[in-house]
Amino acid sequence: MSELVPLLQNISNGLLIGGVYALIGVGLTLVFGVMGTINFAHGDFVVLGMYSAVLFNAVFGWDPYISLLIAVPVGVLVGIAVERGILARIADAPPESAMLATLGISLIIGNGLLLTFGGEPKSVQVSYASSTLPIGPVNISIVLLLAGLATVLVILGLYMLLNRTEIGRAIRGTAENRLGAELVGINTKRIHSIVFGIGVSLAMTAGVTLIPMLFATPSATGAIFTLKAFVVTVLGGLGNIGAAIGGGVLLGLVEVLGASYLDAAYRDAYGLIAFLLILLLRPEGLFGSTVKRV
Amino acid sequence: MLEALRAEGITVRFGGVTAVDHVSLTLKDGEILGLIGPNGAGKTTLFNALTGFVPAGEGRITLYGQDVTRDPPYQRTRAGMGRTFQTERPFEELTVLENVLVPAFLKTKGRHEARALALEMLDQVGLADRAEQPALDLNLARRRRLELAKALAVRPRILFLDEIMAGLNPPALREMIGFVAGLRTQGLAIVMVEHIMQAIIELSDHVIVLASGKMIAEGTPQAVTSDDRVIEAYLGTD
Amino acid sequence: MIRHFTVLGIAVLAGLAYPHLFPNALTIAISVLLFAGWATSWDILGGWAGQLSLGHAGFVGLGAYFVAIGQSDYGLAPWWAMMLAMIAAAALAFAWGRITFGLRGPYFTLSTIAVAEILRMIAINEGWLTGGATGVFIATLPEPFGIDLFSRVVHFHMALAFSVLTVAIVIIISQSRFGYQLRAVREDESSAMAAGINPVVVKLKAFMLSAALVALGGGIYGIFLSFLEPHILFYLFLSIQIALTAIIGGRGTIWGPSIGALLLIGSGEIFRAAFAQANLLIYGLLILVVILFLPRGIFGEIQRRAVRRRYARSTQG
Repeated sequence: MSELVPLLQNISNGLLIGGVYALIGVGLTLVFGVMGTINFAHGDFVVLGMYSAVLFNAVFGWDPYISLLIAVPVGVLVGIAVERGILARIADAPPESAMLATLGISLIIGNGLLLTFGGEPKSVQVSYASSTLPIGPVNISIVLLLAGLATVLVILGLYMLLNRTEIGRAIRGTAENRLGAELVGINTKRIHSIVFGIGVSLAMTAGVTLIPMLFATPSATGAIFTLKAFVVTVLGGLGNIGAAIGGGVLLGLVEVLGASYLDAAYRDAYGLIAFLLILLLRPEGLFGSTVKRV
Repeated sequence: MLEALRAEGITVRFGGVTAVDHVSLTLKDGEILGLIGPNGAGKTTLFNALTGFVPAGEGRITLYGQDVTRDPPYQRTRAGMGRTFQTERPFEELTVLENVLVPAFLKTKGRHEARALALEMLDQVGLADRAEQPALDLNLARRRRLELAKALAVRPRILFLDEIMAGLNPPALREMIGFVAGLRTQGLAIVMVEHIMQAIIELSDHVIVLASGKMIAEGTPQAVTSDDRVIEAYLGTD
Repeated sequence: MIRHFTVLGIAVLAGLAYPHLFPNALTIAISVLLFAGWATSWDILGGWAGQLSLGHAGFVGLGAYFVAIGQSDYGLAPWWAMMLAMIAAAALAFAWGRITFGLRGPYFTLSTIAVAEILRMIAINEGWLTGGATGVFIATLPEPFGIDLFSRVVHFHMALAFSVLTVAIVIIISQSRFGYQLRAVREDESSAMAAGINPVVVKLKAFMLSAALVALGGGIYGIFLSFLEPHILFYLFLSIQIALTAIIGGRGTIWGPSIGALLLIGSGEIFRAAFAQANLLIYGLLILVVILFLPRGIFGEIQRRAVRRRYARSTQG
């Protein structure tokens, strides 16, 4: 019994952190699924979300979750602008070009933030930062719980958007067969812009939910989030939204359990090792069905 | 005459669809085998199974008596197969000469020998004057000839031609037919997938007709083209 | 080929004159030369074979740590340590490539980041071996033939030799069977197979050579720094810098990576003055310019025009 409690605690932490990872991963996988582009700037958009919360807190004293009201639409607009201004122009180039372009965007955002906010870590102090909710013997962090709740709502919203709306049908059609979608009158260029906008917005949302528990620092953190998002999507299966949730939860569990029962110093490595194992054994991801070999 | 190629019971399935269904064929040195059939008959799949680009689920393929059934494409090339691609695939960032140098290195020693072979092949297909041109800039007819030069530069004993006549204008077609006939006199065995009946009738010693993955007829071009089942297969699918 | 070696010879002469002309600007020249060598080595895999790696900092770190640990823990002379590092880097590249080259698309690139990150975590956490997050210090070095390996001028000559070696290797490769195999695999794997080429073997060879050369440069970098920190040596941004230097300069060309290094590291110093730590901004801006307007990179576009011009002239004459 004495060993069971910490295990339950670890599992609940892992699940909640995994929820945040899923939120980070889902935007990347949506963009890849529809556009075939790996967005290397994804993590930097997460960091941009963190800084937007920092900014609104410093200026207006807002709670991070209130700044979502601004961050979500701004994310969509920024994403559309980046897609129109850069990615759409190289739509006919090899897919590698888009990947390199997003790498450039990543460096510009990271270093732009560094110039704007300086190198010191920034955070938002919330009154509930260290509050916990006891459920039986397990204590659940309110911050993590809120983040987990936000993840569930956002992914539910995304699911409704994709499956219950006209635009969602157009997005799925474009992802499945771009030419076919165009033949039935879908403007796939517009869909690409919108999807990239949604992707950026999802990344920024993830950033906002993270700021109560993580410091925002420019440049390097962006790359770390991008890497986490990659791991989540590859664990689940690249381009598959439902699988990103599974991948996120799996990564959260692998990290928390690995850190508790193996060696805490290698916390970040467990996810990467799992990622390499998946690449080796099951490149379509644990929950994917399409084999990407050849 | 030596038996160049023997395929027995070749079957290829994609998911639940059987694209090629127990097809067998043989080919001797210096012979041309024509592979025809309506669209979607499985010609290209059979062709790719023979050259190793699509794994054959069942069956056995031997090349001059050597079993190559499990060999990947590059090993079949080393064993004596050469092939062209239906959609020409020049190495676009390379010049015409460099395109042919790539395969020319296979059976030569050193770059001078490879260069000499590549130039000889370009000369044979009539592209010698364009050796230094970027391959990207070639027109369709010349791309076809470049494909041929690349396939010949591996010094094949058996050549697989995938619709090299398609889309050519009448003079270019005549020229290409004459060229392939010339290859036969050099002793090459040739398998050709072709839609242009004129080429099939003039060149093939033996024709195989595929429909829905099955071999429905075989024989001389004259016998096959007057076969009722063949006429039905062509007209029936339209 | 003779033309390229002539240019290289002139570059060597200019390099040998440099320490006498600008004795106070050695550090930046060493940076340029190391990056030229790394980018040229990266390009064997990334440009000539077309496999985009964003993990080459792992090999830089491997080289530097082999030299430092070899010296401090085992009394191993740097040249032996560098040779071991090259073998280790090639072995790592072999195992890594075996896993990922069967896959296409972005998987290879993603895996390179992951492997380099894992190496970085090992360097940070295995303090008994690597000095951990605080790093490892090279306190003493042997003096072969009375040469002081702590001297900046010596570092400059080592970096010059390294970059010249990498360019010379690429010049030879570019005309060889291997060079054509690399380009064929990059352009079209099916067509390459039809030419009798095994794409996986070709890519593995490219990766191993590229990794070993980068590790050699890493060893020189280790001697140059004399104090190694895992955060710098295995850094993802170092990998990105190496890759972008080659891509901006011109992938799959002999001189592109070196031109990229000259331009980026040279101007990087100016940028560093203007933007302090945000000097990677220039890489971000330039890669966008290249992707949008010069897809073959700076030298790649120049070369492309030269090929077209030469052909146009040959048809007129």
